[in-house]
Order: sequence, then structure tokens, then C-alpha cells
Amino acid sequence: MASETPGAGIGSDDPDTEQGPLGRWVDSAIKNPDRVYRAMFYVAMLFFLVTTLFPFYWLLVLALTPNNLIANMGLVPKGFNPEVFIAMFERVPFHLYMFNSFVLGITTTVLVLLIASLAGYVFGRLRFPGKGVLMLGILAISYFPPAAFLIPLFELFTGNTAISIGMVTISTPDLFNTPAPMVFPFSALFLPLSIFILTTFYGQIPDGLEDAARVEGTTRLGALFRVIVPLSAPGVATAGVLTFISVYNEFFFSFLMNNGEADSWAPIVAGILKYQGQFDTPYNLMAAASIVGVLPVAILVIIAQERIVSGLTAGALKE
Amino acid sequence: MGDVTLEHVSKHYDDVTAVDDMNLDIEDGEFICLVGPSGCGKSTTMEMIAGLTIPSEGKVFIGDREVTNLPPKDRGVAMVFQNIALFPHMDVYDNISFGLRLRNYDKEEIERRVERAAEIVQLQGMLERMPDEMSGGQRQRVAIARAIVRNPGVFLMDEPLANLDAKLRVHMRTELQRLHKELDTTIIYVTHDQAEAMTMSDRIAVIDSGQLQQIDPPLVCYNEPANLFVAGFIGSPSMNFLDGEVTADGFSSTNIDVEFDPADLGIEAGTDVTMGIRPEDVYLVDDEALVSNPSRRIDAVTDVLEPMGDEIFVYLKLSESAETDLEDTSGVANDQLLMSVAPDTDIEEDEDVTVVLDRSRVHLFDTATGEAISHGIETAVQTSGAPGTEAESDD
Repeated sequence: MASETPGAGIGSDDPDTEQGPLGRWVDSAIKNPDRVYRAMFYVAMLFFLVTTLFPFYWLLVLALTPNNLIANMGLVPKGFNPEVFIAMFERVPFHLYMFNSFVLGITTTVLVLLIASLAGYVFGRLRFPGKGVLMLGILAISYFPPAAFLIPLFELFTGNTAISIGMVTISTPDLFNTPAPMVFPFSALFLPLSIFILTTFYGQIPDGLEDAARVEGTTRLGALFRVIVPLSAPGVATAGVLTFISVYNEFFFSFLMNNGEADSWAPIVAGILKYQGQFDTPYNLMAAASIVGVLPVAILVIIAQERIVSGLTAGALKE
Repeated sequence: MGDVTLEHVSKHYDDVTAVDDMNLDIEDGEFICLVGPSGCGKSTTMEMIAGLTIPSEGKVFIGDREVTNLPPKDRGVAMVFQNIALFPHMDVYDNISFGLRLRNYDKEEIERRVERAAEIVQLQGMLERMPDEMSGGQRQRVAIARAIVRNPGVFLMDEPLANLDAKLRVHMRTELQRLHKELDTTIIYVTHDQAEAMTMSDRIAVIDSGQLQQIDPPLVCYNEPANLFVAGFIGSPSMNFLDGEVTADGFSSTNIDVEFDPADLGIEAGTDVTMGIRPEDVYLVDDEALVSNPSRRIDAVTDVLEPMGDEIFVYLKLSESAETDLEDTSGVANDQLLMSVAPDTDIEEDEDVTVVLDRSRVHLFDTATGEAISHGIETAVQTSGAPGTEAESDD
């Protein structure tokens, strides 16, 4: 760059202003770092936007391309076939699979929030011996890979386990192809996270508010649900949304605890796999189903995120 | 219906005893202050009355019912908290009506009662505000309205004024007294501020280290403190204390002697006693005429003056070496004396003065146990120290 700088002649300006374009840019960046930060922000934003949104775009490309043309794909669809979004419902009752996913997700979320609220209250607001150990236990269990539980749970839920109490032997009910063998493991798996979130939130509610509610006429439980939970709305929303999305996305138990039919409570993953025929693989239908399946969650996240952020910034609590 | 009784109530936390064998008998309609230093167990006592804490031992009665193990909601009490504790997610109306709604009152009744409560605490027109849109004093009034709206038998107030600024606090004090007059309900009020306790209550319960020290009307606590703790706690600035010994002529300490006949007080010569005298009962010798029963003259040097406007506090050094020991919190200082004089008194720092004590206002305490022996020595000075000295001895 030195070569680009003309020799400082008589009457020439300060040597600093005689640098090349990169030198000048560096100079201005040092003087005015805000611009650099902004530029870096846009670069990072762009990177994340592309990496998150490109798969969706790619799904759209695949969905719109007729299946026989799906080979050597470029970045644009080869053809325009929007009927695929109708065809997907004709070939497989995908709406039923979505319904199943919703029921599983909502049931699990309600169950998790209920139990995690109680646990969060206990861990966040009460003092008792063994609290640390118990919390550590929950943490440890949440680190187990779900596969570790598969065989015992499968045996349990398919009625192959018998419990003997004295003379009486009771075998477990066959719950295969019902929501139960999915909802229970989901709840157990996703509980620890919610417990942690809610413990933090409930622990921050001043004791005085709970005491006030109790003197005014609630029980401890009443105070929890009338005062502590509403005041922890951002935390409850976060825990709920995370749980719902996790269940909605879950594959392992969803795939193994039913026979993959819509009337056996199989969720969306099973629905998508259901398009796979013996003699064809309709990528376009699968892509269309994936988009439709993702939409509700995407909407939920957008709505909930706004609420979570507003809840957090409102700083609901003083004192 | 609003009388509260504690019978041998104790509360232990692990190895700490927060409240130790507390017996309290509070009558219906009484305004009682539980007063004591931080951590003395006064809040725990109140929580046990409220039901927020279950006593380890003993029984709690409200009205004729034993409520020891009842949850707070079934005790017919209402509470105002130090941190006010309004529900931030509800507006004023919902805050005040919270308890009524839980008890399924019908809508008109709730409305009527909330209006009435809002009127009493002067909150009309603010029922739709959220707590964070209100000032500290307004929030405190909402909390009081929430408490009175249910017509409870007993009000519990846990340092309700502690978070308010000084001016507002004095104002709210008056408001609370007015409220008590209007409602005529038992109020149990916890505070660490003895001035608050003195000004508002019918009786003061002084608590220290979890034990009830004295329960009496404010002036009795002030004039006839049951022990050293009460004497030091009630009154501001604190009473002067001097450690000494009873001799045949009376009380004798390093710098001050007070004559009396120990036999009249039932003390044996040789007993270690602590003498207490309030700053306003120390007089300059010029004012000796005002004192019916003065002690011997005491020479002192003035140290620091604190003009308060309506009086001047004068710190007196009784000996050359007098120094304030910051480590010593017992309040006993044998070479210092705090005196209060009229604001127009001509007095300077580092001036030699002569003072006398009002013997009829001298308190004697047993140094070992802290228990009061006598309050005031009622006879004229016997220069000869002859018998015939009488003392008024309480409890």
C-alpha cells in the first residue's frame, strides 16, 4: 500500500489522508466504531437468517417441483405445482396426524406446567433438608439419553410387565397405540427443564406477596396459582412453549410407541413417513407436509416470543 | 371477638430460638405495639398470630377459638406488610377486593365494601390504577384498605410505615390512629421504632431475644421500665446508665453518688446495681430550684452540644479521661452523662458546669439480672444519710 501512496510533495496534505482505500476505511472504523458494529450486526444477522430460513425455502422449492422432476435441483423450483398442498391431504390424512401432535403437545405441556409449578414452588420458595440433592437428582436424570429408558418403558406400556403383590399379580395395561406411552415419557423428559425455569421465576416472587395472599384467604396452592404463577407469566410461557415445541418435534417415542397410523395417535413424524410408498418416494408431498406441519409452531413461536419479550421487559415486579 | 391470647408460645428454628415462651393477652379493640430491636422475634410473634408460622410450642387464641394450627385464611385476621405487598398484576379495585372475591361475596356487596374502604383511606377515584402507578403513601393506603375491607377481628401490621419517608410516616401514624378510633378493632403493630410505639399504642409489648420484657401502657414503660433493656430501648436518646454499688449511704459509682437508705429499697449494701437517669432528669445547678428532690452536685465538663430546636442535648464528661467506647453497646458509661436543657440555655462546649439529678426520677436496676429495683427516690436529701429515706418501689 505504501506504493500507492504518492510521495509527500510540497503542499501535499497530511500523510494520513494519503493512504489507500483500505487504510482510509480502517482509519474511519477506528474513529467511528459504531459503523463497524452495525456492519458486523448485519453480517451476523444475515448469516443466521440464511442458515435458519434456507431449509424452509428449500422445502418450498421441493414441494412446488413435481416429483418426477426432482433430480439435480438448483436453487429455484423446476415448475410450479401448488396443488401439492391439496394432494398431500388426499394421499395421507395428514390433518389427523397434526391433530394427534397437537393433543400430545398440549396434554404434555399442561401436565408438565402443572407438575413443574408445584416442583418449582417447592424448590424455589421452601427450605427443607435434601433440597440440593433432590435438585441434583432431577438434573442427573434429565441427562440420561431417552434411549436408556426405551426398553423398560416399552415393556411397561405394552403390558409385558407384571407386578406381584403377595398372591395378586397385576400386569400393566397395554397402552400401545394410545397417547399415554408418549405423554408420560415426554412429560418426564421435559419436566426438568421446566422445573428449572419455574424454580428461578417462583423464587424471585417476594415472600410478602404470598403471605398477603394467604392472609387474604388463599391456601398455599391458591397463592401459587392466583399470585405466583400470574406474576411469573413470562417464565410459565417460556417453559410451556419450550415443552410444546419439544413434544411437537419429538421423534423417538413418537415413532416407537404406536403403529404409525393416524387413529393410533401417531404424530406428524409418522404422517410424513407415511408418504413413503413401496415403489415411490414423493419428496414433493413430504416437503409440503413438512411445511404445513411447521407452520403452527412457527406461528406459536412468533406470538409467544412477543409475549415473552414483553413480559420480561415490563419488569412486572418491584420490591 | 378481637382478643388475642398467646400461651407459652415458642418458635425454634434449628438451633435458634426466635420466640421463647411468650405470653400475651391482648384485649378486643386494643392497639398494641410489639417493639424491639431487629431480630428480637417480634415479627415471628406476629406471623404466629397470622398463621404464617406455626409455633413449635404453645397455643394461640383469637377470640374464643384456638387457632394454633389453623391456616391464615381461617383466622379472621388481616395484615399489612412492611413491603406493602400489593399484587402488582391487579389494579387497586382487584387488590382491595381480592379477599372478598375469594370468599364469594356477591358483586354488589363487594362493590359497596370496596367503595367504603376506599373512602376510609381516601382513595376514591384511584380504584382503576395499577400499584406501580401510585406513590408509596397511596400504596400503603391501598394495603390498609385491603385489610379493612373484610372487617377482620384483628389487624396485624408488620412495620407498615418502615418504607415510607419520614414526613409521610408521621402523617400515616396519625392516619392509623384515626383509623383505629373509627374502626375500634384490635390492632397489633410491629415496629422497631420506639417513637412509633410510644405515640400510637394503648400498650407496648417490649420484646428482646424472643422474650417479652414488659407489656404496659407507653408511659408506664417510659417511667417504670421493668428492666435495663426496656429502660434503654424506650426513650430517645436513651437513658444514661452508670454501674455502681450499693453502700450504706446509697448508690456509689466512679463519678456519681446518689444517697438513699438501701434498707428502704430492700437491697443489701454491696449489691452491684446500675443506675439509670433520663437526659431530661439531669439539671444544671442554676435550675436546681425546679427539682424537688435533687441529688448531690456533680462537676462536669460539657463535650458535644446537639441543639434540637426545642431542647439541647449536652454530652457531659464526668472525668478528664472520658472517651466514648464505640465497641460498647451496653449503653453503660460511668464517666459520661447526657443532659437535656432548654433551648435558650447559655451553654458552650468545653465549659465547666455543675449538674444535679432529680432523685425522684432515678432508676435502679440489679446489674446481674437487669431487673428494676426501684423507680425514683422520694425523700429529701438527708445530708447526714440518716434513715427515714423512703423510696417508691414498683413491682
